[in-house]
Amino acid sequence: MILVLLLLSAMTALAQGPGGRGGPPNAPRTARQAAPVDLTGYWVAVVVEDWKYRMLQANKGDYDGLPLNAAARKVADAWDPVKDPPPGEDCRNYGAVNLMRQPGRLHITWQDDQTLKLESDAGTQTRLLSFAPSQGQGGGWQGVSLATWDSVPGGRGPVTTGSLKIVTTRLRPGLLRSNGAPYSSNATLTEYFDRVDFSEGNSYLVVTTTVEDPANLTAPYLTSVHFRKQADAAGWNPTACR
Amino acid sequence: MRRLEIKTIVRALLAAALVGGSGFAQDPTAGAGVNSLFRPGATGSGADISGTWMLGGHQDVAYITASGALVDYGGIPFNEAGRLYALAWSASRQTVREEQCAGYTIPYAFYSPGNYRFWEERDPNTQRLIAIHMYFQTSEVSRTVWMDGRPHPPAWAAHTFAGFSTGEWKGNVLHITTTHLKHGYVRGNGASQSDEATVHEALIRHGDRMTYFAETIDPVWFDGPFTKTVINVRNIIDPTAWLYACEDGEEILSRDDAAIPAYQWGQHPFLREYADKNHVPLLGALGGAETTRPEFMTKLRDASAAEAAARALTVPASGVPRQSNRGANSEPDDGEIHTLAVQGSVYMLVGDGGNITVQIGDEGPFVVDTGAGKLSPKVIAAIRALSPRPIQFIVNTSLHSPHTGGNASLAAAGEDPSIQGSFFAGQAPIAATGFFADPAHRATLIAHNNVLVRMQTAKAPAEAIPPDTYLRERRRKWHNGEGIDMFYEPNASTDGDTIVHFRQSDVIATGDIFDMTRYPFIDFANGGSVKGEIDALNNILEKTVYKHDEDGGTMLVPGHGRLADEYDVGEYRAMITIIRDRIQRAINAGASLDQVKAARLTADYDTRFGATTGPWTTDMFVEAVYTSLKSPPKTQNRN
Repeated sequence: MILVLLLLSAMTALAQGPGGRGGPPNAPRTARQAAPVDLTGYWVAVVVEDWKYRMLQANKGDYDGLPLNAAARKVADAWDPVKDPPPGEDCRNYGAVNLMRQPGRLHITWQDDQTLKLESDAGTQTRLLSFAPSQGQGGGWQGVSLATWDSVPGGRGPVTTGSLKIVTTRLRPGLLRSNGAPYSSNATLTEYFDRVDFSEGNSYLVVTTTVEDPANLTAPYLTSVHFRKQADAAGWNPTACR
Repeated sequence: MRRLEIKTIVRALLAAALVGGSGFAQDPTAGAGVNSLFRPGATGSGADISGTWMLGGHQDVAYITASGALVDYGGIPFNEAGRLYALAWSASRQTVREEQCAGYTIPYAFYSPGNYRFWEERDPNTQRLIAIHMYFQTSEVSRTVWMDGRPHPPAWAAHTFAGFSTGEWKGNVLHITTTHLKHGYVRGNGASQSDEATVHEALIRHGDRMTYFAETIDPVWFDGPFTKTVINVRNIIDPTAWLYACEDGEEILSRDDAAIPAYQWGQHPFLREYADKNHVPLLGALGGAETTRPEFMTKLRDASAAEAAARALTVPASGVPRQSNRGANSEPDDGEIHTLAVQGSVYMLVGDGGNITVQIGDEGPFVVDTGAGKLSPKVIAAIRALSPRPIQFIVNTSLHSPHTGGNASLAAAGEDPSIQGSFFAGQAPIAATGFFADPAHRATLIAHNNVLVRMQTAKAPAEAIPPDTYLRERRRKWHNGEGIDMFYEPNASTDGDTIVHFRQSDVIATGDIFDMTRYPFIDFANGGSVKGEIDALNNILEKTVYKHDEDGGTMLVPGHGRLADEYDVGEYRAMITIIRDRIQRAINAGASLDQVKAARLTADYDTRFGATTGPWTTDMFVEAVYTSLKSPPKTQNRN
């Protein structure tokens, strides 16, 4: 009996083929088609985690929770709120490493079948989350982001879900925290985007972030934030970097 | 031969499975950026959380070890009542005996430092997942998440710090819904969720890290969902420290047992400490749903307006109508009697007004209170379902009709073999005395003598009046294999209150002294007083013992509402004491009753225990407290 079940299982896997449910056998699927979860739409930040650092200008010298090394601490200690931001660095608090922590709204759309576009009204920034190896040179505030679906076919339940994993590199150096705590151009940002739909109707986007930056950090910097789904663009208010 | 065949088939199946699995890798879907658990090297957002974990993120570090400064509520969606509760909270509350070992609620257990262990329980025959068990080192929270589809308990069941949880996997996310939680912290600075909260959780594993996300819906103290994420990391090596023992003690020897530390609204000595130290506008530090929204930043730009708005939040808003209980109705009104096993030999019957407590055994049932009398046949049937023997004893906790309404019917359905053939059986019948009807062939009704006197005065039917009374501190019986104490609580809800303690079962029936649906019915006209009420609650607490970290142990059947334990009584006692102190201060300042009512001195608790309509409104409660403080009834001695 067990053998029969195993055989059926294997046959099912073969019959479905890589196209999975609903797709033609062996037909290539785009990232958009392969999406195990719909992340598109408008999302508003629910500012709870690290509330004072995110909602307000962080105080000079307050590095609680940041695994800064001595070099980074020295840089941060030299931060002068009066001279902040330096010329041409207005958006250094809105780089990819810190953008998702800003109080604001996100608008996520498919730019094409292989690219998710994430717009933030805070700082009026755009991130392109590419599922194809990018040819971009990087060097901007949002760096170069490679996206993958961390998919769980079936998982342990009846619903197929999964995470969006994003690895961002080639960043322009910016701030981990608005009081001068830095990250370097060699920082690697790894994010998971998970959609959570609770039974009472609220849908959330949970973003889990790891920053690795040996130039400034003694350990990977782990944080998470979340957003609530909006039905429409209500409250969408693009603002300049501040 | 057979063995060889099986081996061959297994190899073929494995090969087929590998081909099937590798199909994902070969497919152009790989170009679409799909990682699968079936692919070698996949990072795998796993769907098994078994193992040991610990808090591992870098956010909110101030709340992990220091538990949060006083008046640091930014990001908590308080409503007025929730904020006022937190503002009245003094850290010295943690020295009150019943709060020293209070457990951590869900989701707060996930916000604490220390290690967690999760493991699965499976049916040995089917390997189906029955439950996921969780143990949290800090405060030793033991939790079961039922995965077998069982329903949540009824609203009148007891609450615990871990609550009652059911879960289901939705792909790689474990969804959990928890109800029946106790009142507890959301931040260790007095910011709290009520016992009416429902918590939704999502546990999302990414390799050796797990993101935890909780949404707390609390109609009592929040204006909207309180949502928060944290990150956990897997312990590769089992940590050896798993215990977090707590035992309460006498921490403030000079303090009156009945005193509950609390700050007065508008006079919080540390109101600005956190805000000033961290350069946080007070309006932000005071929390509220708006502090979670991006637009809140713009509200802070006008500093003087923000400061004025903040000041207004530190006291009850004037001109606002009283709020009423927003919790679930734990007193069913569906025309049915519902039986809940409490523990030992004791059961709680709900559905006919006040709660009815039933103890069973080799002798006839011992019943405390008889309900309103509207559903007496169903009450009798429910008791018969527990025991085939006739009801032998009935104790009334007071004269109030929701507790005595079924006296005549239940007594008539019972029988007291200890009277038959005794001297008492020959007592004058009702025709001669006007009361004490047919003592031999009825259950014996027992109460404090003042119940008898007041019911006679009120010309209650003779059959409903307890003929067997006592006058002093204690009445006791050995019945159904255990000792039963009846203690007199003078001038509490009335001047004739009795609490009944089943000693081996360790259950106390409290009557109207303790009510999980509303403020205590202090019946001033019948001898009740706030002083006696607080004394009675403290006397109950003298008899209770918790099982573990203020969960379980002695169970309390309140006059109305859900089953409770020591912690619930302790919090209720704290509430009444704090309100008593506020009203006493107002009286001392010369406030009239109308001024006290207008001041909304119960605003932090009204969304849980208040009422604007019905037989016992908040205004009536305030008036009873005010009146009994200004003109205390002639106090009767317990002894």
